[in-house]
Amino acid sequence: MRTILSTLLRNPKAAVGLGIVLLFVAVAVLAPLLTPYEPLARVGRPHEAPSWEHWLGTTRIGRDVWTQLLYGARSSLLVGFATGFLIAGLGVAVGITAGYVGGWVDEVLTFLTNVVLVIPNLPLLLVLAAFLGQAGPLAIALIIGLTSWAWGARVVRAQTLVLRRREFVQASEMLGEPRWRVVAVELLPNLISIVGINFIGSVIYTVITQATLEFLGLGDPLAVSWGTMLYNAQTSSALIVGAWWELLAPCVAVAVFGGALALVNFAVDEVANPRLRTLPRAPRPWSGRPIDTRRTQGAGQ
Amino acid sequence: MGFLLRRLAFYLVAFFVAACFNFALPRLMPGDPVDIMFAQADASLPPEAQAALRATFGFVDGPLPAQFWAYLKSVFTWDLGISVRFYPLPVADVLGRAAVWTLFLVGTSTLIAFALGTALGIVAAWWRGGRFDSLVSPLSLVLQSVPAVVVSLLALFVFAVSLRWLPPGYAWAPALDPSWSLAWFGSVLQHAILPLATLTVVQIGGYLVTIRNSMINLLGEDFITLGRAKGLSEVRVMLMYGARNAVLPMLNSFAITIGAVMGGSLITEIVFNYPGLGNTLYQGIIARDYPLIQGQLLIMTLCVLAANFIADLANYRLDPRLRTE
Repeated sequence: MRTILSTLLRNPKAAVGLGIVLLFVAVAVLAPLLTPYEPLARVGRPHEAPSWEHWLGTTRIGRDVWTQLLYGARSSLLVGFATGFLIAGLGVAVGITAGYVGGWVDEVLTFLTNVVLVIPNLPLLLVLAAFLGQAGPLAIALIIGLTSWAWGARVVRAQTLVLRRREFVQASEMLGEPRWRVVAVELLPNLISIVGINFIGSVIYTVITQATLEFLGLGDPLAVSWGTMLYNAQTSSALIVGAWWELLAPCVAVAVFGGALALVNFAVDEVANPRLRTLPRAPRPWSGRPIDTRRTQGAGQ
Repeated sequence: MGFLLRRLAFYLVAFFVAACFNFALPRLMPGDPVDIMFAQADASLPPEAQAALRATFGFVDGPLPAQFWAYLKSVFTWDLGISVRFYPLPVADVLGRAAVWTLFLVGTSTLIAFALGTALGIVAAWWRGGRFDSLVSPLSLVLQSVPAVVVSLLALFVFAVSLRWLPPGYAWAPALDPSWSLAWFGSVLQHAILPLATLTVVQIGGYLVTIRNSMINLLGEDFITLGRAKGLSEVRVMLMYGARNAVLPMLNSFAITIGAVMGGSLITEIVFNYPGLGNTLYQGIIARDYPLIQGQLLIMTLCVLAANFIADLANYRLDPRLRTE
């Protein structure tokens, strides 16, 4: 575990990504210290441009955009990470069960996974959210979690199938280890990178999807989050009246947070899959520069 | 043929599951399902239209299986009910008309992004670790995790509102009537640039990273060395030995991608006020037009399944293993 972490941190992509993510977490936790205002209080004139009093300007109802951004990070990060755990957990549960138990259990679970995978997610979420009425952050976390586990399950199942045939798993089975122990001690540690990638990817997906659902007006309009900021900016025609700050702030927040997590994911992938590791200075036979003898031969082609 | 038939059967079941979901959801919600679904309709639809709407969704007298049967009949005869927001138009008509624009956006942008992303990904994988690769690959990864809402809002802000290079909304200039004229086509193209570019940008990173990683995994394989040993040209080994095999896993992940792109298109259309499914749906959501919201799930599922089948056909063509089975 420690080696994984230290390898990760030596990767510049991971270091930058993790740094930005931690900054967002810190900002979300310390929100009340970083602003004198309340997120839903009217503290200025409508659509004030950025100034020393209001770093990112104000919204149409005179709320402070910087304050909303800080408090919005709480909702977006909390929903993102919680749902990420839910999606990754469901994926592991379904994937390992299907891959390790096998037989008809595998058939049923794989079929279910494939069906969930092929039904488009956002339309499904729109129907769910519409029937729930104005969905608060918790409801949004739940419906995203329950509809998005299929991809993780598929990947975990495939890897479990590979691992199950390895000697060390078969050895511990022959020693008479109980199933849960084989799963917990032999399989799970070897799935950690796949599960990690799935977790981070799910956090990105959740943050994006929450913002999207709320932007569409399916969220709770009184909750403070990046999505409701986008929604309020869109409904108050912020762009057309020139209040770009109201729209740009949540846009940049979502983009930077998602991008940072993506960098971490890229790095985890490199650490987990040595073939993807690229060391620019190491000479490689397949670097694409043709060797002379081959070129003369190839000329006849 | 066995492969394609099995896929078709699977898609039929998937569509059936989506339909079941639509049937079950209002009945699972607390409270009276008829109240939930038709509260808006009560206010704006004449009584006979309401009765027809109820019958469509299986709210007939009788036990649940009978209701389910009634509902399935209407779904498989493509009777999706009457739109409350766009009364008296049926949901199938409203959405069918809008779907043309969405398919235009999704189809065109997918082709552009697939072609560009694959080409750039192949180049990045071949010269992996080089300057191009270490710039483009992380960049596209970051790009991939920026949502369509953000890209389209930024594009709207920069190119339509600030620079005024391109029109900010709709599919053609309001002064023109839809006709098969050159002026109208020009206007359609001009209005499509921003939404198309947005959707391309949203997709391209995914294709690039997928093919790059899948190709890097292949480049160490023996058949690449064999291709070299045979003295084939570098380009031939790269394209026919590497890329052809690397494309296969991409086609398999198409199922997830296309659904996400349809979702992205919904959002892009709303931002650019484009007359596709997204915009129609948005108006439906605001008016709590449940027949319309449920209908879009079926239509979108159908589109995604059709796209998947096209991917299957391509797979079938590229992968001889599927044909000899």
